[in-house]
Amino acid sequence: MKNLKKVSLYLLALVAFGFASCKSEDPTQENDGEVITDVTLKFQELNASNALVGSVLSFKASDPQGIEVGKTPTIQSINLAKGKKYQMTIEVTNAIENEDITKEILEEAAEHQFFFLGQVFDSSFLSIQYADAGGIALGLKTIVTVSSSTGTNNSSMRVVLRHDLNKSFPGATNPNFANFVQAGGETDLDITFPVIFS
Amino acid sequence: MIQKAILLCLALVASVGTLSAQKCDLVLRGRVLHLENNLPIEAAYVWLSESATGVATDANGNFVLKNLCPGPQTIQITFIGHKEIKQSIVLNSGTSNLTFKMEEEAVALSGVEVHGHREVVQTTTAVSSLYGEALIQVRGENLGESLKRLAGVTTFSTGSTISKPVIHGLHSNRILILNNGIRLEGQQWGAEHAPEIDPFLADELTVIKGAETVRFGPEAMGGVILVNPAPLPTSKKQVTELNLIGNSNGRSGNVAVAHSGGSGKIVGLGYRIQGSTKRAGNIQSPNYFQGNTGLSETSLSSSLGYSTDKLGTEAYYSFFTTELGILSDAHTGNLSDLLKIIENGAPFSNAEFTYSLINPKQVVTHHLGKIKAHYHLNPSWKLNFQYGFQSNHRQEYDKRRGDLNARPSLDLELFTNTAELFLDHNLKSHWTGSIGLHLIQQANSNVPGTGVTPLIPNYDLVNGGIYLLEKYQKGPLELEGGLRYDYRSLSTSRYLGNRLQEKTLTYQNGSAFVGGLYQINPKLAFTSNLGTAWRPPNVNELFSQGLHHGAAAVELGDTQLISEKSIKWVNSLEFESKKTTLELTAYANQIRDYIYLNPTGETFVSLRGTFNVYEYLQADAFFYGLDLSGTYSFSKQFNGYAKGSIIRAKNTEANSYFPFIPSDRMDWGLSYSFGKHADNDNNRITLSQVLVAQQSREPDFDLSPAPPGYALVNLGFSKKIKVGANGLRISVQANNLLNTEYKEYMNRFRYFTADMGRNLQLKLNYQF
Repeated sequence: MKNLKKVSLYLLALVAFGFASCKSEDPTQENDGEVITDVTLKFQELNASNALVGSVLSFKASDPQGIEVGKTPTIQSINLAKGKKYQMTIEVTNAIENEDITKEILEEAAEHQFFFLGQVFDSSFLSIQYADAGGIALGLKTIVTVSSSTGTNNSSMRVVLRHDLNKSFPGATNPNFANFVQAGGETDLDITFPVIFS
Repeated sequence: MIQKAILLCLALVASVGTLSAQKCDLVLRGRVLHLENNLPIEAAYVWLSESATGVATDANGNFVLKNLCPGPQTIQITFIGHKEIKQSIVLNSGTSNLTFKMEEEAVALSGVEVHGHREVVQTTTAVSSLYGEALIQVRGENLGESLKRLAGVTTFSTGSTISKPVIHGLHSNRILILNNGIRLEGQQWGAEHAPEIDPFLADELTVIKGAETVRFGPEAMGGVILVNPAPLPTSKKQVTELNLIGNSNGRSGNVAVAHSGGSGKIVGLGYRIQGSTKRAGNIQSPNYFQGNTGLSETSLSSSLGYSTDKLGTEAYYSFFTTELGILSDAHTGNLSDLLKIIENGAPFSNAEFTYSLINPKQVVTHHLGKIKAHYHLNPSWKLNFQYGFQSNHRQEYDKRRGDLNARPSLDLELFTNTAELFLDHNLKSHWTGSIGLHLIQQANSNVPGTGVTPLIPNYDLVNGGIYLLEKYQKGPLELEGGLRYDYRSLSTSRYLGNRLQEKTLTYQNGSAFVGGLYQINPKLAFTSNLGTAWRPPNVNELFSQGLHHGAAAVELGDTQLISEKSIKWVNSLEFESKKTTLELTAYANQIRDYIYLNPTGETFVSLRGTFNVYEYLQADAFFYGLDLSGTYSFSKQFNGYAKGSIIRAKNTEANSYFPFIPSDRMDWGLSYSFGKHADNDNNRITLSQVLVAQQSREPDFDLSPAPPGYALVNLGFSKKIKVGANGLRISVQANNLLNTEYKEYMNRFRYFTADMGRNLQLKLNYQF
């Protein structure tokens, strides 16, 4: 009986300790490291000898809070001149973490690829080819040619960034590959920019 | 066995002896139970001195003595290791019914072994169990898959690696799982969160199909699953069991060992240590591999117990860890990705076989420790105490860019304390019952450093409950009832952007049940149970706010949600004769303020694309259904079984259907035993078929329509071999023998892939 009392005391102490030490941690602010808040398309004209001329035109899509319900991203319209040829570069940043994601995409070029779709290509207003260093199909740098006779002045271009895809999937070397989903992977970016021709 | 045979012979002889004619047509029925735990005593011998007639009790503790003469009689009941009962009764007219409870004899006096204290659930509601041969057949499968063998139990799965048991259409936080008597507390709210338990630790899996909030606390709305290890041995005998399992599909291997024994020096001291490990690679559907569907799992459990005639103590520890892959194609970036793959109906990735896992994957570890003690204050009163500690760590990895890929996107640590103190009484009269206190405390923390805004906040939860159960047992009738009151407080805190959001919510509820069992005749029993249950809203239902990664869905919680309250009525009829067993269970469950995830029909646009928006809503729901199972022996060698279940569930406010309610299903099989053994059963061939209908009661919104019904054929062969004094059991089983391509409505990944194709399984079970 004496032992029993002792044992129950130990038990009680253990349980009391268990309950007392069970407390949740204070929450910490978690910055979304992976969120893309800003995507900038930069266009610079190429002359007949493929040299860069003129000033850089920037068009931006941004979503300052990343993915947050109730907020919609702001997307600028792209203004391009008919009959001209441009070099397009894409810059991707996370303004929350102040991080340059372009660099990460370049480092993981084997797992990423941009695809360019939408009416501008369907109606042949634009044509595009990959121009990344090393001749890889990535899309951070492309050459865009604007048709000299677009039927309309208003159109749209869809920019998709795929991650973890099979880049050697048949057809995937085409920047306008509409069936990119079949190459596997998932979408990191899917933005439709309005395009205005002048 | 021999003892029983002798007793039966004695009984026979005795009854022949009393066939002398008089006005002797009275019948005495009765039941003999253990005073300790109300379990029936088989083969207790009942003797009436004056009539010089006797009989042994059957497996249910029942006995019948016929052709008795009126007048005073002395009834004498004996059973090994128990105090003899000697009582005077008077037989008047017709049929009499009596219940006797036998008290164990003190160890020191008789020198008889102390038997293990097995806790049993005394309930009048429908109960189904897997044990013995049936359990060996499902060894190697996870808890959900194993329990599918019971009528009324199905699974809610996420691919082939994650499956959750569903009882009468309810799952996750609406059912409870008990690991050796302790409520398993993990992150059960998630559809893709499998229970953190290895069925290998159990020698019996029991499903209670009634609302059992009173006994086990809030959330036991659909039912309770008990994962019970065998009672600890108290004798010196040592037993080791080895299981080796291999599967062709997934090329998996599974090893499990259990060893138990007792101390020769200290009477009443017993132990068990048990472990298992499993490794599997990509699962194959009939026409393709499912990419990234491998898993590796390890579990360990050990217990140590000491019993004397008055005191029983047990310490228990179990550990479970798993790393499992999620089908790569199921993880989509946005709605258009999701719709494309659904349209395709099969994965785009052309996966090959591999054991290695990549993201998305889950890594989960669960520790559970418990101590338990009971003390017999006197033969009728027993004081029980149980304390459990659990630590659950869940990490979910998504496909991510750069260094983030090595970091989990969800990293949750959950600590739970549970303590229970209750006083049982088992009076020599017809009353048994208990009164108890139940305390649950929980602390959930998001481990910093995920680089993702947490899905659910950090929180502290305290739940206190007080309950009272009472049961009346007389002859063929058992009646029981219970009351409980619970109070829960939940305080949460998290950052939303830069803003700290703190909230304290409290919930309280009473619950009650009444139930009864009536043994209509020795072959037929009827049970009925009416119970209320409640479930406070879960943290994810209250606080979800944002993107559910991989599911391409934005989910919105609501802190205004109130508790769900249900009332469930379960009736069951059990028939057992020499050749036939039949069990029919019918139930109705009315749930007020049922919480469900409803598509708003809106989409949310971001730079990543478009997502569907879902919100948590409440509506009244009504579930009802039938479970039927039966076996029939055509001959000693030739046996058949069939079972099936039907569930209907409706949102009675919107007059619509809920998603993920199991469709009608049944399975049936035939087995043929043959061999040299005296009982001709050392070889057995079993052929079975599973039939699942299409779910025609679909919700208004679903990403794709319910898949068509399907039929699967399974074929198995098992052989028992004597190796010295030990038993070796070998079995070969072909599941989905015809390699049928099918999709199960209850699998969330039916949108992306067909279910598992043919699987050949080889199993060895050796006990020594």
